[in-house]
Amino acid sequence: MLKKILHIVAFLFFILVTYFAMQACGFKVEALQKGIKDGLFFLTEMFPPNWTDFKSMVDPALETLALAILGTILGSLVSFIIALFAASNVSNKWVNLFVRSFISIERSIPELFILLILIAAYGLGALSAILALMIGCIGMLGKLFADAIEETPTSLIESMKASGASKIQIIYYGILPDVFPKLISYALFRLEINIRLSVMLGAIGAGGIGFELDYAFSMLLYNRALSSLIMVLILVIGIEQLSAYIRKRLSIHQI
Amino acid sequence: MKTFLMEHKRWFQTLFVLIGMFLLIQYLKIDLTILLTDLHYVVELLNEMFPPNFEAIWDNNKILNSILETISMAYLGTLFGGLIAFLFSIIASNNIFNFILIGRLAKWILSFIRVLPSLVVILIFVVAVGPGPFAGVLTIIFATIGTLGKLFTESLENLDPTSAQSLQSTGAHKLQTFKYAVWPEFLPAFISNLLYCFDINMRAAVALGIFGGGGIGYKLYLAMRVLHYRDAVALIICIIILLLIIENLSNYLRHKILGN
Repeated sequence: MLKKILHIVAFLFFILVTYFAMQACGFKVEALQKGIKDGLFFLTEMFPPNWTDFKSMVDPALETLALAILGTILGSLVSFIIALFAASNVSNKWVNLFVRSFISIERSIPELFILLILIAAYGLGALSAILALMIGCIGMLGKLFADAIEETPTSLIESMKASGASKIQIIYYGILPDVFPKLISYALFRLEINIRLSVMLGAIGAGGIGFELDYAFSMLLYNRALSSLIMVLILVIGIEQLSAYIRKRLSIHQI
Repeated sequence: MKTFLMEHKRWFQTLFVLIGMFLLIQYLKIDLTILLTDLHYVVELLNEMFPPNFEAIWDNNKILNSILETISMAYLGTLFGGLIAFLFSIIASNNIFNFILIGRLAKWILSFIRVLPSLVVILIFVVAVGPGPFAGVLTIIFATIGTLGKLFTESLENLDPTSAQSLQSTGAHKLQTFKYAVWPEFLPAFISNLLYCFDINMRAAVALGIFGGGGIGYKLYLAMRVLHYRDAVALIICIIILLLIIENLSNYLRHKILGN
């Protein structure tokens, strides 16, 4: 009996919370109905895409791609160095506690705000975007890399230590070859995220296809919006397929 | 020659990557010297940012409201997105709903939803319902359907079929089998995935603020735009604490649920 009452109270509480959340967000069914109509109108107006626009979109798309690739490579390098400090089998306890909390704090800052701060420092442009993508990698890759490094067999490190290898030698000849396939696969995973982020950063001012997309949508240039949207989809799907292909090949080599 | 290449494979790979990076930097026309010559701007900026002005947060009731707004966005997005994703996953998983073709179609729709970047989705919803937290909620719902739809489908398909089969052999119909065999087994995965997604959606809710999603993200964007860096840093610290709390809470609850 008591359990049943508790269930009912919990359910009512849940309804109440949902109701207030809907109030806070201005969630209205009428607005949704009207919105669906407007949205569908917008989507139908978009067709057909303006094929001549595509020519002018190739360059921005390549720019976005270049940003994502550079940001991921640099970010992976920085993350690896940071991960070495965060791994308990390489650095000492206090250092890795400090670095681990730094990594999880970084993970909580959206990349967009990192970009906004960098824009304030270095101005609009590709440099700020690359730095933002690079810093954005640390939160995710730093943690994944550190976990991968910690999984290196202790026997490997111990035997190298016993034969008199220095720390750098242990990292370069022992740990790096052991974790390298994992690092590449994580970095590729991050590349998939970074290509989306790079589109998003473009919309705030880093240029590239994201800017084209945002411009076309805010100016209500329907057909242009669709052609930039198709370009974005080509980028995102292309990178996803490429990353899946490389990861598949890597795992074959591993075996 | 070949052995030489093989012996120094690592060096050649590194060289190849370095040349590639150099070409990309050239292509983007990035002037790396700016990093050093503009360093004084960074120092100036840091001077303007610290100490953070926390009074801007305490004095202003609107900030508290916008934090609640962001949490509500993530909550509603997870709740409604999760429910729709659940319906989708029942159709998409091929062990519960037996129409292969419709299942294929549902899976295809789910992967299409996942491919669409959230920037595109929010831009469309801003056109549809106007800027504000409502557009943000709809975007989060949309993204959640994609992520959770996939996770739910996978966990439904990985369920152990024996208990459902034994129930069916006693003559239980589809709905009964679902209620007594599938649902109890699926529930922990359902709730833990919802919690995981809530954590992700909090971040999305903050970030979507910039593109007209409302909430604390929008407040932060405004503070940056009008160059009130001290307020902005206070807001960023607030956001970090909020996200860390949500992340740890979600992890804790998930471990508890999956542990039982």
